[in-house]
Amino acid sequence: MRQRSLIAITAALAAGALTLTACGSRDSGDKGSDSGNGGTTVTIGVDAPLTGDLSALGLGIRNSVDLAAKQANKKNYVKGITFKVESLDDQAQPSSGQTNATKFVGEPGVLGVVGPLNSSVAQSMQKVFDDAKLVEVSPANTSPDLTQGPNWRTSKSRTYKSYFRTATTDAIQGPFAAQYVYNKAKKTKAFVIDDKKTYGAGLAGTFTDEFKKLGGKIVGTEHINPDTKDFSAVATKVKNSGAQVVYYGGEYPQAGPLSKQIKAAGAKIPLVGGDGIYADDFIKLAGASGTGDLATSVGAPVETLPSAKEFVDNYKAAGYKEAYAAYGGYSYDSAWSIIEAVKKVVDDNGGKLPSDARAKITAAMQNVSFDGVTGKVSFDEYGDATNKQLTVYSVTGGAWKAVESGTYNGS
Amino acid sequence: MSGIGPLEPGEGTRAWDTAQEAPLGRRRAPLAALYARHRRAVLALAATAAVLAGGGYLYATRPQQPPPPEVPYPAQVVAMSYLRDRATPPGAPARSFSFEVLMRVESGPAVTVTRVTQPYAGLSAAAAPHVPFRTKAGAPRKITITMHVTECGKVPKDAGMPFLEVTLRNTRAIQIQSFILGPHYAQHLSRALKVACSNSGT
Repeated sequence: MRQRSLIAITAALAAGALTLTACGSRDSGDKGSDSGNGGTTVTIGVDAPLTGDLSALGLGIRNSVDLAAKQANKKNYVKGITFKVESLDDQAQPSSGQTNATKFVGEPGVLGVVGPLNSSVAQSMQKVFDDAKLVEVSPANTSPDLTQGPNWRTSKSRTYKSYFRTATTDAIQGPFAAQYVYNKAKKTKAFVIDDKKTYGAGLAGTFTDEFKKLGGKIVGTEHINPDTKDFSAVATKVKNSGAQVVYYGGEYPQAGPLSKQIKAAGAKIPLVGGDGIYADDFIKLAGASGTGDLATSVGAPVETLPSAKEFVDNYKAAGYKEAYAAYGGYSYDSAWSIIEAVKKVVDDNGGKLPSDARAKITAAMQNVSFDGVTGKVSFDEYGDATNKQLTVYSVTGGAWKAVESGTYNGS
Repeated sequence: MSGIGPLEPGEGTRAWDTAQEAPLGRRRAPLAALYARHRRAVLALAATAAVLAGGGYLYATRPQQPPPPEVPYPAQVVAMSYLRDRATPPGAPARSFSFEVLMRVESGPAVTVTRVTQPYAGLSAAAAPHVPFRTKAGAPRKITITMHVTECGKVPKDAGMPFLEVTLRNTRAIQIQSFILGPHYAQHLSRALKVACSNSGT
């Protein structure tokens, strides 16, 4: 009797244990391995300002690329390939960018580069990469000439076939801002300021052209020195011009203090800028008087993109110290486009990288198409993103809030 | 001699002041007696608990279908492109002009257009078919937009990047989206505005 009972309880416990064991083994079998895939390691380079005024944006780019590589490795997305990331600091300087480009080209394991942040830096890197057929995907460059050539206003011509970008160009961003300012905000007199850099001057130019076409008046223009933070002389000129709005072509380290000093000079008018000022640091630098300032930024508002939510969750889970900032989603998509191109080349070559991998990856990039963090990711004949969405944000209650969203279709 | 002795007892050593454990039999006696009295019940309970635990674990870790993807926001699935200029419909007021756009819903449920406007003062816009109208994924719809110049002094002399403002609704949300229709629309609009206002002093 006692033995029978013991057998019964043992059987019941064994059944339970076996059940649990079976569940456990089935579960872990589906997950695959999180560790490296073995085989070949492919390096994705990152060039961005990792130190200095713009480092908040640059570190967000670096971390987002790192996240893409980790996700690809975790999913074993390209069989036999492990991705790693090597990041170099360009300090937002064209000369540093060119040095970094040369370094990446000299490393055979680097098969694609994400970056840079600044259009002026990109200009110094494009030829270096193109000569080596090393693909470059920028998440943030907005200067039209990088893809459409120096005469893009009259005749578009692609100079570098290895250059792509996931960001929208100033050819759309500046006019979109002008349309909003003139038609929606009902401002007809603008004062235009830029920092003389490729990005800032270009953006100010496209805004000015459209604003004048619409019937608006430019009541003053100024250039500032980005190395200073004292803009009191310019602020006084803005005050005396009778402008209803200031358009600034440049980035947030200067735009924040500029906005603050314009208001302090007595001109209680909004400052409007492009994606270069769409950063939380702008709000901190501009202070309370920055409420009502506006920025256009490439892409749709993150909260309307389901794919973005997954990115935000994964970024948080990865525990990066710095925020993904304005270009995080675009950086992830830039890195993933390289991963997709590598996958295509490897798949077409019997599961291995070919000897001329760089050239083949550059060619494959032209036909990459996938649903990314920022929407559908693919490139047109110039290397520009086909997804051309823009959003106007306003500083409201100490944060950027979307107030207008647009989609460009130039076909 | 100073210093700290070994942290772990050495092999064969034993602390002198450790109390002797009570004989096991005396401590276990009440439990054993209880078990002897209710052996069947205890065994049955243990077996039930094991089965329940196993079943519960199985239930909690059962393979589940991933939740269906959320319905996308309407602005994320609608594409609008300029097609061509069109003859103004009969009965349209003077200083009107028309053009055709193609609306596509790329995926998800049908999207209803509830309003079509344009941002310039001095211009009004109307759509045919009349709003509201629905468009399904995979069934592109041609829309004729007729604009009427109400005040020439308030229309733009020129525009590089004009857009249409369209209010879209699906089961997820209502959104107002600006559709920038590109250079062909810009040229058509500029030309039409010049013609409409060429003989007008207003």
